Amino acid sequence: MGKKRRGPSLEELLARPWCYYCERDFDDLKILISHQKAKHFKCDRCQRRLNTAGGLSVHLSQVHKEQLTEVDNALPNRMGLDVEIFGMEGIPEDVLKAHQQRVATQFQQAEVERQAVTGNPPAGASANGQPAKKPKLEAASDLKKRLAEHRAKRAEALAGGSSGDVTPTSAGQSATPTGFAQSPQAAATPAPDQQQSFPPAYGSAAAAPAFSFPQTHPGQFQPYPANGNQPLDMPVPQPYVPNGYPQPFPAIPGQPPTYGAPPSFLQQPTPPEHRPSALPAASNLPQRPTFGAPTVNAHQMQQMHMGHVPQSQATPAYNGDGPVSQSVDDLISGAANAAAASKPTEGVEKPAKKDKSKPSGHMIYSHETISPEERMAELPRYAFVPDTTSQTVLGEVPPAVVVGAIQTSDTVLDPAR
Amino acid sequence: MSSNQFIVASPPTDAISALKFSPDPNSARIVVSSWDKNVYLYDLRDENGSVGEGKLLQKFEHRAPVLDVCFGEDENVIYTAGLDWDVKKIDLNTSEQTVLSSHEAGVRNVVYSREHNIVISASWDSTLHIHRPDAGANPDSIATIVPLPSKPFSISLTDSRLVVAMASRALHIYDLKALALLSAEADSSVPGGNRVEVEPWQRRESSLRFMTRCVACMPDGAGYVSSSIEGRVAVEWFDPSPESQARKYAFKCHRQPAEDGVDVIYPVNALAFHPVFGTFATGGGDGGVSFWDGISKRRIRHYPKHDTSVSAVAFSGNGKYLAVAISPGFEDGKDDVAEGAVQIYVRELGETEAKGKGAK
Repeated sequence: MGKKRRGPSLEELLARPWCYYCERDFDDLKILISHQKAKHFKCDRCQRRLNTAGGLSVHLSQVHKEQLTEVDNALPNRMGLDVEIFGMEGIPEDVLKAHQQRVATQFQQAEVERQAVTGNPPAGASANGQPAKKPKLEAASDLKKRLAEHRAKRAEALAGGSSGDVTPTSAGQSATPTGFAQSPQAAATPAPDQQQSFPPAYGSAAAAPAFSFPQTHPGQFQPYPANGNQPLDMPVPQPYVPNGYPQPFPAIPGQPPTYGAPPSFLQQPTPPEHRPSALPAASNLPQRPTFGAPTVNAHQMQQMHMGHVPQSQATPAYNGDGPVSQSVDDLISGAANAAAASKPTEGVEKPAKKDKSKPSGHMIYSHETISPEERMAELPRYAFVPDTTSQTVLGEVPPAVVVGAIQTSDTVLDPAR
Repeated sequence: MSSNQFIVASPPTDAISALKFSPDPNSARIVVSSWDKNVYLYDLRDENGSVGEGKLLQKFEHRAPVLDVCFGEDENVIYTAGLDWDVKKIDLNTSEQTVLSSHEAGVRNVVYSREHNIVISASWDSTLHIHRPDAGANPDSIATIVPLPSKPFSISLTDSRLVVAMASRALHIYDLKALALLSAEADSSVPGGNRVEVEPWQRRESSLRFMTRCVACMPDGAGYVSSSIEGRVAVEWFDPSPESQARKYAFKCHRQPAEDGVDVIYPVNALAFHPVFGTFATGGGDGGVSFWDGISKRRIRHYPKHDTSVSAVAFSGNGKYLAVAISPGFEDGKDDVAEGAVQIYVRELGETEAKGKGAK
C-alpha cells in the first residue's frame, strides 16, 4: 500500500547535487562531475576533459600555450577561475545558501501553483496534524459485502420495493460518491438533518465518501456504523478546513476565498493577519507562503549572486500597471484559473496575458520608424550636403524626398543649387 | 576560454557600420566601413601566412560616413554605400573609385550577387538601385530604380532571393532573376525608363513587433533570420507552404536582467550565418555575441560581453574565423568616441565551436 508520490519533497530537492557554473541539478554526484567535465572543464582545442577549471588552465597553458580566462558555458557571474570547483566541493558558502533558497522558493512556488490548480492540500500537510488523504481502498471482504448489498438493493429496486432512489439528496450523493472528495465545499454545505435522514439502506453508499473525506465532519456519518464499513481514516481532533472555506478565519474584507491555499505551509503557520491586507490588489492571490525569506525569482537570484541585495518582494506596491515580476504573474494566473468560480474583487485589475507588443523591459533603443543609423546621421558631425553641381542628378530632387536625416538645424540645404 | 582572439591593428577612428570577410575561403581579408568616412581593407595574415592582428592594407576616403561595404566578383573589387548618397565601386588594385549611381538620400546597404552579377543598393529614399557592374565599359548605363513602400533598413540575399527589411515592419522578398532581367531590359534611353515597379515574390510583415534591425539569409537559401531593436530574433522560411510557415519562430536574446525585474533590452544589431555549419551569430547592443542553431532551436555559445555595442559580425569564407566589430552604441549618439571603444576582434574558432548540437 504505497503512498502515491506527487513529486520530490523539499528536502530531496535540496539534497540534489547541482553545478556551480550553470545551476543545473543532477540525480547524483557522478553525473554532476561528468557534466562539469563535459561542459565546463573540456578543452576546446583537443576535447580533453579535465577535472577542474584549474586543471584545464594548466592544461591549456602547458599543452596549447594558451591562457584560460573564463569557464565555458557558465553563468555570467560564475565564469571566474578563482573558485576551485569539483562536483559539489568548493562552492562558496553564500552561493550555496542562495542556491538553497532559490530551490526552496521554486518549490514553494510550484507547490502554490499546483494547489491553486488542483485544490489539493500541500504534500506535507500530514505533518501539520492533518492526515494526508489516504487512498481509497477496501478490503476484499468489504467489497464483496458491498457488492452483495448492491445486488440486493437492485433486486429490491427492480421489485419496486425501495423509494431510496427518489430521495433527492441521497440520490445525488450516492450517485457521486467521489464528488465529495473533489468538492469539499459541496460536502460541507448539506445541513446535518438532511444527512441524518439517510435511510439505513444507503449507509454503505453514503459512507463511501467517508473514505476520501472523513476528516471534514467527524462523527457526521456516525449513524451508520452498523454496515461494517469502518472509515479508514480515524477522525482527528482538528477538523479539516476545506480549502477556500474561510470559516475559521475572521472574514477579511476584500479577500475572497483563497481557493486552494493551505491555511499553513511548511509547518510555519501563517495567521491571516500576516496577509498584506494593506495591498488590496494582492487579495486575489493565493496566500504567499512565508519561508522566512523573501520570494526571489531567478533574475534576482542572479543579482544576489553578484552581490546585490534584492528589493524586498514582500512589500512591492501592486499597482496593477507597473511591471510585475514573473513569479507574481504566475501566481496570479494560477490563482485566476483556480478561482475562476470565485468572483474577482472590486477594483482588482488582473494583468492581461503577456502582450508581446509591449516590451517586457526597458528598451535601449525604441523609436518606431527612425533607425539608429538615421538618428546618428542627423548628428551635425556626420552631416553631408550633396554637391549636386558636379554630378548628374537623376531627375528632379524633390525636397520632400530628401531625407530629413541629413538636414539638421546646422545644415543649410539650398534647393536652388 | 582560451585566448585565440586577436584585436585587429589600426581600427577605424569612429563607429563601424559594416564588416565583411572576403568570400574567398583561402583569404583572410576583411573590409570595414566606418562613420569616420573611410573604408578600410585589412589582411589578417602576416608575411608568414599566420592569422593574427593583421595589417591595414588600404584606406579609402569618402565624402561622408560610409554605411555599408561588400566584396564584388572577386576580392579585388568592393562596393560601398554611404551618407554621400553614392554607390561606389572601388578597384582595390588600382584604387580607382567609380560612382555607380546616386540615390536621393543616404544609402544604407549594398550587396553583390555573384550568381546574377548585379549590385543592389538600398537607400533611405525608399528605393533599390540595381546596377550591372560590367556596364563599366558602358558609361551611359544607369541603375535601375525599384521603388519600395518604406525605408529599407537591411537587405540580404541568397543565390536566388533578395530580402529587404523596411520600416513599418514591412518585408519584401524579391526574385533575383527577375530583378536581373528587369535591370537588363530597362530602357535607360527614355527619361524615367529606368524606374520600374517590381512586384515582389513575397510580401510579408515582420514576425517581430518592433523595428527590424537586420536580416540575414541562410546559406542554404531556405530561409532567413531577422532581428529587431527589441532583443528578439525571428527564424523564417521562404517556402510559403503552411508546413514551412508553421516552423517559423522567434526568440529573445541580448537582454540584461535588472535588479528590479525589468530587463534592459538591447537591439540585435548584427546577424551572420556560418558558411559551413549553417548556424548563425547575433551581435547585440549589450556587447554580447552568441551562436545559435536555428534548426534545433538551441544556443550554441555565448561569448563574454564587450564593453561597447556590437555593430557587425562576420564569418570568414571558410568559417574558421569570426570577426566582431564593436562601436559605441548608435543609440546614444555621443559626440566623441573614446579611445579603444571602436575595435575589431577576430576569433579563431575551434573545430566544432560554431557547429550545431543537433536535435535535443
